[in-house]
Amino acid sequence: MTLFLQFLLTGIVTGCFLVLATIGFSFTRRVEGFLNIAHAELLGVSAFTTWGLNKLAGWHILPSAAVGIIVTAFLGLAIGRIVYDPIRRFGPAVLLITSVGVSYAIGGVIDAVIGTGIRTLDIPLATSYRFWGLRITDYQLLVVALAIVASGSLALFLNKTKTGLAIRAISVNPELAASRGIDVQKTSRATWLISSGLAGLAGVMLSVIATLSTDIAFHQILQILAVAILAGLGSLYAVILSGLIVGIAMDVSVFWIPAGYRPLIAFAVVILVLLVRPQGLAGSKSS
Amino acid sequence: MIQSLLLSTLMFGALFSVLSISLNLQYARGGMINFGTVAYFAAGAYAYAIFTQEPPSGLDQYAFGFDLPWWAGFLAAGVAATLFALITGWPTLRLRGEYLALTTFAFAEVLHSFLLNERRIGNGSVGLANVERPDLSFFGLDEQIGYAVAACVLMLVTAWLFNRLLASPYGRLVDATRDDETAAEAVGKDTTRTRLQVFVISAIPIGFAGALYAMITTLVSPALFTAEITFFVWIALVLGGERTILGAIIGTMALVFFQELVRMIPFESVRSAQIAASVEEVLTGVLFIIVLRWQPWEKMKRRKGA
Repeated sequence: MTLFLQFLLTGIVTGCFLVLATIGFSFTRRVEGFLNIAHAELLGVSAFTTWGLNKLAGWHILPSAAVGIIVTAFLGLAIGRIVYDPIRRFGPAVLLITSVGVSYAIGGVIDAVIGTGIRTLDIPLATSYRFWGLRITDYQLLVVALAIVASGSLALFLNKTKTGLAIRAISVNPELAASRGIDVQKTSRATWLISSGLAGLAGVMLSVIATLSTDIAFHQILQILAVAILAGLGSLYAVILSGLIVGIAMDVSVFWIPAGYRPLIAFAVVILVLLVRPQGLAGSKSS
Repeated sequence: MIQSLLLSTLMFGALFSVLSISLNLQYARGGMINFGTVAYFAAGAYAYAIFTQEPPSGLDQYAFGFDLPWWAGFLAAGVAATLFALITGWPTLRLRGEYLALTTFAFAEVLHSFLLNERRIGNGSVGLANVERPDLSFFGLDEQIGYAVAACVLMLVTAWLFNRLLASPYGRLVDATRDDETAAEAVGKDTTRTRLQVFVISAIPIGFAGALYAMITTLVSPALFTAEITFFVWIALVLGGERTILGAIIGTMALVFFQELVRMIPFESVRSAQIAASVEEVLTGVLFIIVLRWQPWEKMKRRKGA
């Protein structure tokens, strides 16, 4: 029983990480209206920038992480402006396919610069806390805390601030929003900064809790897609729920079946849900 | 040197052209985004390998090996791709656009994960080696040339059949289903069935191509059938201009030629080879973005028409 609860606990941590990783992806989908496959590569950019500053340049982890996140946010903004903006008129399918090209380009650059091998950050070893026979490390707690803070502040931002409300207006009806005097350019820039910054944060977390290799981004996109489809493309609150569902389902499944099937479980959940609710957990019929 | 470059371009180019032609039918004509192309390819390759493989012995962990002649395996590959298309198409085709793309992608990942973890199918990550291949010495041909010819034949037959199919009244039904489903239904056409038919029909040649691929490489393992193949075919399709069979073939040939060319460069160290591979990846991505951004083929077509 303890073992089961331990898997459940790890599942919650995995779920929180997935929420962090998916929330930016889902945000892009909602505002810009397409699936940005390259989002996962941004996690890689942030993770390896942090690693480079921390391990190679010998910086402390905090400034390295901050620089990593900022670099990623502005890279995301630049890609959005240079690549996606000019082709928006071709529709979401072309944008989706283009983002595959972008992820090839970013992935190739990371491969060329970093090379193969497994890498870790220069940070203190994780401290384990025990309670009722369950174990959790301080880094895992950090992931949970950051997931709560990030999704909470994004929700506050979207509901309370002027820019947040403008972003929501544009995601519902861009023409109407523009005609009411909302600066579409500025709002779109804010969107790219936020969603890429969230990818950066998730990338830093990834480099803290896992070992790094250049193919991490690809493994992440599979799980991000699973969570995003499950949530129903576009809803932010459902991302939290479905991130936890996928995370827990993957980790608890290890209790009964071999661990190699973890990714399969993620997609099995997705396929089951889509067959019953084709619009996802929170999607509306119209989308 | 140049000869072997051209030969392997022709062989793999024709082979992957079968995939991009089928994808062209699904996407450009049927309006369905299939991001799980590799799954039908893998289903064909594995079916071929399992049907022609000798029964398991020694350290083998796979459960079935029927030891049948190559043509039986080839047919089995088509059947396997058809079945997999029916299984995946029937529940997913009521989804549209991105949802369909993601679900087909999910199905492909599920199949990949099964092949990797379920050792009874095909030895898990080790895969099946020494896959049987038909004896081509009968024709007095070199093996490489023989398979290049076989791939070209498969490509031409697929292209011809699809061309005939789409020129027929059925082709107009497919177009109608894509352009305006409501209107097609209003004149009494079963659009759900049409979509499923197109989906399954275009999966069959992919299965055959999988079998041919297994013959050429004489190895099937999960590592050969990753989502990269799906993306590769998509990139080829976009490079060639989306709407025509000829475009799909040219795009694939160009992309394969480019990759084979990079592979020809001799490298001093592992690191430089790795950098070259990454640069190839970056160039492919950038080329892809540029083609989608400026759509040169569409413009050319318009200029010709005007």
